[in-house]
Amino acid sequence: MVALLGPNGAGKTTAISLMLGLAPPDTGTVTLFGGTPDDAVRAGRVGAMLQEGAFVPGATVRDLVELARALYPHPLDTDRVLTVAGLAGLAGRRLDRLSGGEAQRARFAFALAGDPDLLVLDEPAAAMDVAARRSFWTAVREYAAGGRTVLFSTHQLHEADEYADRIVVLAAGRVVADGTPAQIRAQAGVRDASSLDQAFLTLTTEKDH
Amino acid sequence: MRAYLRFELRRLVRDPRLAFFSIIGPVTTYVIFSGWSAGDRLEGLGAPVAVMIGLAGYGAVAGVLMVGAAVAQERAAGWLHQLRVTPLPPGGVVAVKALTGSLTAIPPVIAVGAAASIQHHVQLPAGRWIGLLLLMWVGTVPFTLLGLAIGYGLAPQVAVPVNFLVFLVLSVLGGLLAPTAYFPGVLRDLAHALPTYRYAELGWRSAAGHPPSVSGLAVLVAWTALFAVVATWAYRRSTAGR
Repeated sequence: MVALLGPNGAGKTTAISLMLGLAPPDTGTVTLFGGTPDDAVRAGRVGAMLQEGAFVPGATVRDLVELARALYPHPLDTDRVLTVAGLAGLAGRRLDRLSGGEAQRARFAFALAGDPDLLVLDEPAAAMDVAARRSFWTAVREYAAGGRTVLFSTHQLHEADEYADRIVVLAAGRVVADGTPAQIRAQAGVRDASSLDQAFLTLTTEKDH
Repeated sequence: MRAYLRFELRRLVRDPRLAFFSIIGPVTTYVIFSGWSAGDRLEGLGAPVAVMIGLAGYGAVAGVLMVGAAVAQERAAGWLHQLRVTPLPPGGVVAVKALTGSLTAIPPVIAVGAAASIQHHVQLPAGRWIGLLLLMWVGTVPFTLLGLAIGYGLAPQVAVPVNFLVFLVLSVLGGLLAPTAYFPGVLRDLAHALPTYRYAELGWRSAAGHPPSVSGLAVLVAWTALFAVVATWAYRRSTAGR
């Protein structure tokens, strides 16, 4: 699991857009699974939960999951997707009648249903309450444990600290640190026991001008 | 792609506004107003048939435009971006949108046709009913493109009123609501240049047993080409960059 960490405006969402082929890079190239992002997306190797994302009215949670399953070559079971995303009791619910946290879980279900090799989550848990957030991260971890890559962006330091194996810190559009949570601390010159907050502030303000 | 078509059709069926504007509206209008002109000859047909086709076209155009303009909301909500990060090809999304939009033309034709056959005992040979239905469906192509142009080209707050205004102007001036026979001369000439009139004319002529007129087809093709250019431009612009 990789966390893309940075303050608001650091370029997390832009980085994700580039990675997914939603925006073309001004300079340079983006490579995903040895090809272009578009190729990887068309091959069904990528699932993504974008930050913006109200759903369209008129469809149910089940319709949404079934749609995602039909679009990917090796989808997961519908029931499994619903359970993992914590939507088991809401399959028949219309998308426009979900609460903020439920809608976020529905978007997670949509991203997950195709069993992609790479799951990209842009600030995924922002609207979830504490309990939902906890079960969400447990589900994400289990998913990654099955041999897939999960990349998520967050400005919640403890989320990155607790769940990521690798953290990439962005500030003002540049990578300012890249490593395990322990390495990030070391790079910033803060003690292991101190929270990542200190390392984060050191890293992101030093390079800012 | 079939799965996405199914998904969109389900949403369509569940949309109460669509049924209201494209089916209940024209049927009610027909039931109330078709009696007034019942003795007249309009567009070479008995008034009950001519008014039936006009209002069926009115409902069809309403539905088709509504689906196209709804794309504006789907764009703003981020749904189209969400679809772009799935294996669904972007062209497929547009094709499905166009197809589902145009399919909304069929229920109003059937519903107003049923009202006409019950209320005024309008009778046509089975072949002409089928031909009418097909023409009223195929003839919505320019309006599908117009709807997509609005949906991809405008922000949702603007798309809805613009869509409504365009619909009202085109359907009233095109003689879908009130037949052009009751229009003053200048407005009648204007009507003949509009896609809505020429669209309904396909139905009027086929109900009378005539093939489409060359001038009518020329006008429809010209509008279709124009709307296709605008829709393509709007689509390209909306997918460029973010």
